[in-house]
Amino acid sequence: MKALAAYVGNIFETVTTIFEGMSITLSHLVRRPMTVQYPDRIDKPVQETLPLRYRGILEVDMDICTGCLACERVCPITCITIGIDMNKETKQRSFSHFDIDICKCMYCGLCAEICPTGSIRHSQEFEGASYNPAGLVRHFVTKPVSLYKPKKGGETDPTMAKKAEIGQKYLDEFATPEGPGGAGAGEG
Amino acid sequence: MQQFVDQLIQQGYFPGVPSQIVYALAMLLAAFVVLSVFVAPLAGVTSWLERRVWARMQSRVGPNRVGPQGILQWIADGIKNLLKEDIIPTAADKVLFPLAPYVVFVGFLCAFVVIPFGGSLIVADLNIGILYLLAVTSIVVVGILMAGWASNNKWSLLGGMRSAAQIVSYEIPAGLAVLTIVFVAGTMSTQGIIQAQGWAPWDWFFFYSPFTFVAFFLYFTAALAEGNRTPFDIPEAESELVAGYVTEYSGMRFLFFFFAEWGNLYIIGAVATILFLGGWQVPAIPWVTEQPVLKGILQFVVFFIKAYLWVFVSMWVRATLPRVRVDQLMALCWKYMVPLSFVCVVGTAAWMVVWPHGNRWASIAMFVIGVIILGVFGKRVGFQIRHSRPTLYLKPYI
Amino acid sequence: MSEAAAPQSEVFHTEDMTINVGPQHPSTHGVLRFVVRTDGEVIKDAIPDVGYLHRSIEKIGEKCTWHGYVPYTDRADYLAAMFANQGFCMAAEKLGSTEVTRRGEFCRVIACELNRLASHLISIGTFGQDIGAVTPFLHALRERETINDLMEEICGARLTYNYIRIGGVGYDITSETCGKITAFLDHFEPIMDEYNRLLSYNKIYIERLVNVAAITKEEAFQYNLVGPNLRACGVKWDIRRDIPYSVYPELDFEIPVGNGEKGTLGDCYDRYWVRIRELEESCKILRQALKMIPKGPAISKVPRKFKPPAGEAYVRVEAPRGDMGFYVVSDGSEYPYRVRIRTGSFTAMAIIDKLSRGIMVADLIALIASLDVDAPEIDR
Repeated sequence: MKALAAYVGNIFETVTTIFEGMSITLSHLVRRPMTVQYPDRIDKPVQETLPLRYRGILEVDMDICTGCLACERVCPITCITIGIDMNKETKQRSFSHFDIDICKCMYCGLCAEICPTGSIRHSQEFEGASYNPAGLVRHFVTKPVSLYKPKKGGETDPTMAKKAEIGQKYLDEFATPEGPGGAGAGEG
Repeated sequence: MQQFVDQLIQQGYFPGVPSQIVYALAMLLAAFVVLSVFVAPLAGVTSWLERRVWARMQSRVGPNRVGPQGILQWIADGIKNLLKEDIIPTAADKVLFPLAPYVVFVGFLCAFVVIPFGGSLIVADLNIGILYLLAVTSIVVVGILMAGWASNNKWSLLGGMRSAAQIVSYEIPAGLAVLTIVFVAGTMSTQGIIQAQGWAPWDWFFFYSPFTFVAFFLYFTAALAEGNRTPFDIPEAESELVAGYVTEYSGMRFLFFFFAEWGNLYIIGAVATILFLGGWQVPAIPWVTEQPVLKGILQFVVFFIKAYLWVFVSMWVRATLPRVRVDQLMALCWKYMVPLSFVCVVGTAAWMVVWPHGNRWASIAMFVIGVIILGVFGKRVGFQIRHSRPTLYLKPYI
Repeated sequence: MSEAAAPQSEVFHTEDMTINVGPQHPSTHGVLRFVVRTDGEVIKDAIPDVGYLHRSIEKIGEKCTWHGYVPYTDRADYLAAMFANQGFCMAAEKLGSTEVTRRGEFCRVIACELNRLASHLISIGTFGQDIGAVTPFLHALRERETINDLMEEICGARLTYNYIRIGGVGYDITSETCGKITAFLDHFEPIMDEYNRLLSYNKIYIERLVNVAAITKEEAFQYNLVGPNLRACGVKWDIRRDIPYSVYPELDFEIPVGNGEKGTLGDCYDRYWVRIRELEESCKILRQALKMIPKGPAISKVPRKFKPPAGEAYVRVEAPRGDMGFYVVSDGSEYPYRVRIRTGSFTAMAIIDKLSRGIMVADLIALIASLDVDAPEIDR
């Protein structure tokens, strides 16, 4: 008798759990799919929907780069190579090359955090495909650029001031834990 | 079909041609028409629909790029598969390996001989129709076993062995479930069985008695097992056996296996419709019955919808359930389904002794019970939607 | 399950079949290989063969600065990168006697528990997938996707976070993100309920898992199982409670253990069920941590050239795959002298050979899935 009860109970349990499961899967037919139809069928490009802290492909604003080499030194994978030449006559130092091999880059964000001016930073860009590995090396110096020297008492040149401001804003909001919403802004 | 060819011969369309050759040609033509006009698009569209339905159940979108809503995806897939290299492994059996997909395909295609498309649209109304159907669909297992053995791959072999054991076992509950209807209808002809039912749900054999009600589910479960569908897809269990017996196949031969699998779904639904759901029966409304073409179309539509409903259900089951293990599969068959189907057979026989012409009130009561179960189910679906992720998206397309 | 081999006749004898499960097999969770000897469907033994995903992460540690090694620890177990981050940073802090700010600790706990949710979702999702239920897998991944989005907001990456740094965390969790996490938890808890009704209570699923490959307490100790695999055997051992670290002692949470409610104690279902309940506990921890998070800086002042005094430290954290230990030796220089990572999956591999004897091929898949082994964590 007990065996019979177990037998019928097994059948009953199987049928009811399958019934339940099928009601769940059917109900998902009318619920919203989660797929983001990535390249074309989206309202706005994915890049624009990414959060500010998103660590995409590195970009460098050469105009505000001081050439301190902090990023090159901190990079655990040595994907950043910087060359600085000195003009013997004018004693003016300028970049000969500033290359980031995004083939190697592991998007850890250490370089962006350590940069004093916010010149090297992660962009929201992630579509970096190329037909050959050489295409993945980003050259930021096409013609010699002289090093940036932060002026005491703020930037005077309006275009440069804008750039410096962007860099500083990036540092404030992303690269330091004490940025807005950082220290003290917590609680729930 | 035969009358039609006879008429053509009598009218002198084929002077001097032996009638056998005309018959053979007519049969080939009919087979070609059925295959290219009905079966191939059906299997293809089923494959697309399964992916779409599956995707929506999994909160995805599914193929929607090729053609409107991706409905032409199956053509793209088919062409891609046809253009692929046809690899025959060095160690494979050179005769059986290429042959196996066609055996599977033949087994599935032959079933269309006795499956009606409407009241008068049937390739051949054999008087042993259902028996023929059971016999012919069993050819598939030979093909699968051939594929499993000839691939000379251990995964394929395991898949083939599992499939053989599974299909042979599940023939028994399927056959017994069919037998209950053969009892009630008193015929094995598919058209005869449909004619023994009416258009109204309570005239269907599904609601004839509690035993046929259970027999329907037994048949459907056994048919899923014979069609290697989840939860009984152990012969091609992709997480265990890579792809089972199709592991070594590529290109067109691979296509044929899946052609057969998706086409087979329709056969499962069609047989369920013939046996239990009143087939192509339409209400005898005068303005319908007076016009043969309209009636034919209506009958086809009714039959197709009923059959395709079960194709949808099998997709739905596949999206829901996990896979059973080999020994559990056998236990389910021999411990649960075979005894239950015997109960159904004996019960139906007893029922027929008590009420030789059926009990109309019992039928209506069974129908009401069926409606209540559906209602409970609908309520449950509503609960699921309210319970989590209640954002609805009622558009069937995206 | 296995029966005594039938007496073999002289004419008709059977042979064992040797099958390679992997390295490329749909259910080996990465690149694993098992050399399986079977008699038909019944397995005689299954020998795991590891090393296909070896990236010499430990050796790389000797070539990186202390700060620079943190992103590498992400790769030790990419499903639960946060825990490796935390393990290494805690070891470095222990060596350098660095203080971690209180807000930093809470940020760590929040990030880690979110990561645990993500990792367990993968685990239970692929479990369903391996058993043949495809829909629950995608439902689990759907929820994980939201967690990844949250992680992206917190630290800018979806998988390899590099979030926890020596002395605290890299970026603070903003109050906006805290609100989003709470909203996610409100959404997630009913989903888990639905997931259970869809998969966990399904009779077919239960039948597939109960009484399969049960591990006894003694075996679990002998084979050094850790984490959910150990707790499924009924041992109440959790590093978060027994060797407390971070702010876990202040948080109120339970440690789910297996109780063999459906079958034997320590079977596959118990291991599955422990993970499901750990998800609930993680949600609980997250809610508390979000309420308790104090104001203050997220990271303490740590010199850029971090040079801990010579010495060694061993630190354990409770990762989703169990006790993750970091043994770090410093010689006082800018680089670690030696880094050694002890992971839960690696020890779990050893027991597979023992448990696989006499079970079926389909059960082996369930066993591998239930131990939640993760190829990158095994090989490192």
